[in-house]
Amino acid sequence: MGKFWVIFVASISILLPFLCNSFSPETPTDRRVLVLLDDLAVKSSHSSYFNSLKLRGFDLDFKLTDDPKIALQRYGQYLYDALILFCPSVERFGGSVDVAAIINFVDSGHDLIIAADVNASDLIREIATECGVDFDEDPSAMVIDHTGYAVSETEGDHTLIASDDFIKSDVIIGSKKIEAPVLFQGIGHSLNPVNSLVLKVLSASPSAYSANPLSKLSTPPSLTGSAISLVSVVQARNNARILITGSLSMFSNRFFRSGVQKSGSSTKYEKSGNEQFLTELSKWIFHERGHLKAVNVKHHKVGETDESALYRINDELEYSVEIYEWSGTSWEPYVTDDVQVQFYMMSPYVLKTLSNDKKGLYSASFKVPDVYGVFQFKVEYQKLGYTSLSLSKQVSYFVSHDSGYNFSFETSLTSYLEETCNRNRSSQKSV
Amino acid sequence: MLILFDVIDLTSLEETYEALRTFDVLGIEKKPDVTATACRLVSETVGSSSSTLKDLFYALKANSIVKCKINDKAYQGIITRLNAAVDGASSLPDFYYSVGGLLLVKGSKGDVHLADADGIFRSVKAFRQSDGRWRFSSNSPESSAFAAGIALETLAGVVSLASPELDQSLISTLNSDISKLFDSIEKYDDGALYFDDKLVDGHDHQGPLATTSSVVRGLTAFAAVTDERLNIPSNKIFGLANFFLGIGVPGDAKDLFNQIDSLACLESNRVSIPLILSLPSTVLSVTKEDSLQVNVNTVLGSNAPPLTVKLVGVFTSGSKAASLVESQELVFDDGTGMYNLNNLPKSIDVGSYTFVFEIVLHEPEHEKIYVTGGQKKVPIFASGLIKIENAEIAVLDSDLGSIETQKKLDLAGQNAVSLSANHLQKLRVSFKLTTPHGLAFKPHQALLKLRHESKVEHIFVVGNSGKQFEIVLNFLGLVEKFFYLSGRYDIELAVGDAVMENSLLRAIGHIELDLPEPPEKATRPPPQPVDPYSRYGPKAEITHIFRAPEKRPPKELSLAFLGLTFLPLLGFLIGLLRLGVNLKNFPSNTVPATFATLFHVSIGAVLSLYVLFWLKLDIFQTLKLLGFLGVILVLVGHRVLSYLAATSAKLKSA
Repeated sequence: MGKFWVIFVASISILLPFLCNSFSPETPTDRRVLVLLDDLAVKSSHSSYFNSLKLRGFDLDFKLTDDPKIALQRYGQYLYDALILFCPSVERFGGSVDVAAIINFVDSGHDLIIAADVNASDLIREIATECGVDFDEDPSAMVIDHTGYAVSETEGDHTLIASDDFIKSDVIIGSKKIEAPVLFQGIGHSLNPVNSLVLKVLSASPSAYSANPLSKLSTPPSLTGSAISLVSVVQARNNARILITGSLSMFSNRFFRSGVQKSGSSTKYEKSGNEQFLTELSKWIFHERGHLKAVNVKHHKVGETDESALYRINDELEYSVEIYEWSGTSWEPYVTDDVQVQFYMMSPYVLKTLSNDKKGLYSASFKVPDVYGVFQFKVEYQKLGYTSLSLSKQVSYFVSHDSGYNFSFETSLTSYLEETCNRNRSSQKSV
Repeated sequence: MLILFDVIDLTSLEETYEALRTFDVLGIEKKPDVTATACRLVSETVGSSSSTLKDLFYALKANSIVKCKINDKAYQGIITRLNAAVDGASSLPDFYYSVGGLLLVKGSKGDVHLADADGIFRSVKAFRQSDGRWRFSSNSPESSAFAAGIALETLAGVVSLASPELDQSLISTLNSDISKLFDSIEKYDDGALYFDDKLVDGHDHQGPLATTSSVVRGLTAFAAVTDERLNIPSNKIFGLANFFLGIGVPGDAKDLFNQIDSLACLESNRVSIPLILSLPSTVLSVTKEDSLQVNVNTVLGSNAPPLTVKLVGVFTSGSKAASLVESQELVFDDGTGMYNLNNLPKSIDVGSYTFVFEIVLHEPEHEKIYVTGGQKKVPIFASGLIKIENAEIAVLDSDLGSIETQKKLDLAGQNAVSLSANHLQKLRVSFKLTTPHGLAFKPHQALLKLRHESKVEHIFVVGNSGKQFEIVLNFLGLVEKFFYLSGRYDIELAVGDAVMENSLLRAIGHIELDLPEPPEKATRPPPQPVDPYSRYGPKAEITHIFRAPEKRPPKELSLAFLGLTFLPLLGFLIGLLRLGVNLKNFPSNTVPATFATLFHVSIGAVLSLYVLFWLKLDIFQTLKLLGFLGVILVLVGHRVLSYLAATSAKLKSA
């Protein structure tokens, strides 16, 4: 019996580092990434991208899509923190992976990168649709741009596109400006207009359209102009992040190293913007940027340090919260000027921008409004590319005794009635 | 490419050799420290008797490139070791490393022979399978093309080490095995050929590149030692060359080595040397009169033997019509080493074509050495400036077709027409496209876009009859499609094609449409995407507006009224004095006096409790204290009153 205990303890101590290595809100960076390929040649032809991930500490596990042993979870535990699907033509996955498994994977807060290509399979399209992105339904359609193509001696059909219409967000594509256009060759997609979680990161130029370059165009193309998205990202409500693109080749070493010259422009760049763009984007996808946490929410009367359970009319109160951003290795103070706090009861009575001390501490002070009731301090912070913060803290809030009458049964009854009336009134207003 | 080898761990001899070999083939100067490190590694391995056979083999291979100094004594030791290894070998890799090692020693020292070459040849051949693949050892059931390559290379080594020479009939039996192996070759759509082993369990899968590379190495090594001509169709060699050239630059050092090393083997092999026809540019401008240039090289870019490149025909892509040009020869330009066709044939207008080339070798015996791959089809785009003329936009009256307003457009420049129309009218946009040769041109993209203020877009394909492009939008039929949205529509015209050098997207102007009111059941326009930048961002601040404090009378007045409230108290006190209140009945005895004092103190305490209640206590605290005080008050009061009653009764009776 004792022998078994030794084995048990030993196996736990061996497994422990792996068990602790999983995704956690305290260290939100993904570490273990499953890469599914249709062809092992992609591992070598796209090695620059994979190497940039490996150098940043990711543990990539390459598998062929028809490998019967692939699985995302075992015994209810996810084996990976992120999934890269570089398998545009996969019809079905081996092992226990299917669309539902992938959607569950994302629903439990894990990240996903999907690269499709011409003749993308229905399976890949289905996964993309689940993420709020619709690829052009015509299987042989490609994005064509006769005025924004990349000048090339050998590619004459204008499907190799040089695009520089990036999203204006430093957090998603990095603060360093991407000088050279990004090369793209593949299929376009459109975003579901009612889905507010999906963002176009790289869009096509107004002259682009999505069609089969070999056949005559008799009906208007379903996707045209800047409505075509070349690269999109999704940030789900659970902060899972997804990257979707219709070009697998934009990740390839060939495109990373290729020079680029956009038609109609005389500037020739030695190196395309692909490497910078996709590397920076992967930092966002893998939570090395734009992942916020809020800690130490405090409120108290001005001049005091203890949190008060209740406030009275005309009290000056101070609210503070600390906000940090994950940098890939540690939590760094987050500095901005647009975090706002609401003093809220059915609707905000006070909405104030918090001032910060550049070390992550945000604070604001204001005078308690002269309305009785149960209020909440609310911080609803949403910013393009950042994880959203939603904090609320409830405080009871009563009448001041300076106002000249006692808190007695009669007055509490009156204030209760008064408040009920107020509530009804404001709820009617909001309806 | 060099970056790949920067990360190589130079302690592995295999990787060191691969890096050195790749540098060697590509003609890249090795850094001195790489050579020094490699030499140190080589001499360590060669000098130690505990190094593995595999390390010894790769050390000798690396040595064949960097040429380190190895003394004769060390060589003697190696030869003895390797000979012993050959005799004791039982699996294919053992034979491969030991025979390969001996061959390398022979390369630098000479006088190395295999005594029992026949026997070794036969024992290696025992791993052969009937399908042309080989096994790694006699007890492994799986056979692979990867092993076949290794086996061929080993046998080639045995043949060159044999003394006396091997029986030729023994060698020629292998010929049919190689043919069988080539029967299992696989093919990509573009004509590239490769070998791939099916996924086998229990053995690591090598992948097509490593497998094909192994076969190519084995084949070329074997072809180099046999006198007979190997019976392999030369186009298969050409297909293999295409495979290695078509994979681009691999990102993995091992893959790069396999690619470069195989190309180097094909560069000068004895089966057939592939000649590759390539075009530096496949997009030619008719307007700029670009000349067609063709390059013919071996796989690694060496010059080809004297030959002629013929343009056999030019076909319009996607059509089966006859060739547009006569067969003609290209002119060789000594300066650039290219074959040129100055001035594209007159019959080539803008469009996409397939050019068919053929290589004709000048000397007939070269046909046995080189393989040209037959006719080569190359897609060529002939681009040019398209003339746009007669561009017009007009609003027509529906029934008569009479022109209400008509405006000329300059599609090369800026336009800003402003039109208005109602649902009974039509909009007509027309223009004419001509190629540089004066023919009709049909672009792939000829789209008219109308965009409403609310960003709802409508796209129409502009049709043509010959050179004339025209689209007529009858608004009566389009009201439903336009969701009955009246207002300003911006008009954009996009004309573009892969071969049109002046593809354009022009905002023409706008049209003010007056459409009828929508009926109740009309479909509503689809939701438009929200601008992500406006979705977020700080909200306007809200500050609470406090109720204005109620108006209060002046302070003096309040104080005056406060004073008035004391008047009744004053009256009461005066009244008491007038009544002649006194304390004569206050008990004089000690015990009753104490009770009387306590009684008054208690009343005072209750009164001060009321004050406290007024100031800070809540009702529960007050009642608790009041209950306590009340009991004392009643007890004490009772004692005092009963004493007083007793005294007064005594007085009366007295």
